[in-house]
Amino acid sequence: MIPRLNKLNKKNIILAVILVFLLLVSSSLIPALRIPIINNLKYPLNFLTLIRREAGGIIFYHRNLVENQRLKKEINLLRQRLNTTEEIRLENRRLENLLSLKQKASYKVIAARVIARAPDNWSSVAIIDKGRFHGIKPGLAVVTYLGLVGRVIETATSTSKIMLINDPSLGVSGIVQRSRQEGLVSGTLGNSLIMRYLPRDSDICVSDVIITSGLTEAYPKGLFIGTVVAIGDEFSRLSRYAIIKPAVNLSNIEEVLIIAP
Amino acid sequence: MRNWIFALAIATLSILQVTLLDYLKVFGVKPDLLLICVVIASVSLELKWVLFFAIFSGFLKDIFAPGAFGINILMLPLWGFLTRQLSKKISIDNDSRRMVLIFVIVIFNDIASRMIFLFLGNPSISLGIFLRIIILESLYTALVSPLVFRIIKLVFLKDLEETI
Repeated sequence: MIPRLNKLNKKNIILAVILVFLLLVSSSLIPALRIPIINNLKYPLNFLTLIRREAGGIIFYHRNLVENQRLKKEINLLRQRLNTTEEIRLENRRLENLLSLKQKASYKVIAARVIARAPDNWSSVAIIDKGRFHGIKPGLAVVTYLGLVGRVIETATSTSKIMLINDPSLGVSGIVQRSRQEGLVSGTLGNSLIMRYLPRDSDICVSDVIITSGLTEAYPKGLFIGTVVAIGDEFSRLSRYAIIKPAVNLSNIEEVLIIAP
Repeated sequence: MRNWIFALAIATLSILQVTLLDYLKVFGVKPDLLLICVVIASVSLELKWVLFFAIFSGFLKDIFAPGAFGINILMLPLWGFLTRQLSKKISIDNDSRRMVLIFVIVIFNDIASRMIFLFLGNPSISLGIFLRIIILESLYTALVSPLVFRIIKLVFLKDLEETI
């Protein structure tokens, strides 16, 4: 009896040891095997999830439809609110900048909004929402917090037309801020301005800042016009010209300031 | 009734011309929607109405434009009248022919209006800028014209199906 018990015990002990060994080996292997196994199971799992979702979709179709409509409405409402908030934020930033210029400037300024543009491609004109009633007169300079925009050419009771500096009809006397070299800045109907009548030996180089000279009565001295991006010789070779990138992006101005005397 | 709806279409497009169309500029150039309206009127309405709408379009254009008032009031009826006369001799019944016609009219309109401006003492612009604007504007206007034709037909003039 005792030898039989001993034999069973020995067998049990060996089995227990093997079991523990297998457990230890598998426990150390499981984390290593989990990732590839799950990776291989991903496709059938996805397939099953898809079937479950589709079946749920069919069963709860009406509930989902109502919920979907409600959520779409909510999204549209939130999107609208987001747009309004963003618009207010941008407007606030622009007005803050305008106000800062208004506080810094020693002259009286009238803030106005751009409401329309020229219908043709041969002029660069904008219409603003302030007119004679607000004290605007033809000839006044128009600026933003970034720099010179143009001048008022026509006024009505509550609207005015302003000619932007990229219109070829508009000429502004400008100087190079660094060397005080004078020239006449006019528009090209594009995204750049041209400074003409620069002497052959003029001290001007790329990246120079151009400001108003104050010689044109309408424009106060020191308004930022733009930065020189290229210099060339006129066809006659008697003078030079400089291509200027305007300080203000004239294609998307929304608010302006009119400098009143 | 149809004529007054057409007038409304012109007024609407003139507002678009000076507001939203600025966002659709290609190389700083936008199409001339009012000129397209005049061509539509020329190929689909009686002569007296063609002239009326051309003057109305020119008037609206001149209101927003700077410089001498009245150039467009003179130019647009001229193009309307000439298109009307041409449409009696040549069939302008498909998009491609209308596009070619509008392309040519925009070029002539731009050349004529620039010459008048120069005659009135406005400064000249460089040849490069002139050519860039004239080519792009005529192309752009011609390309959008089928769309404008369809929009006007659908929204404003549903009974124009037979004429344009």
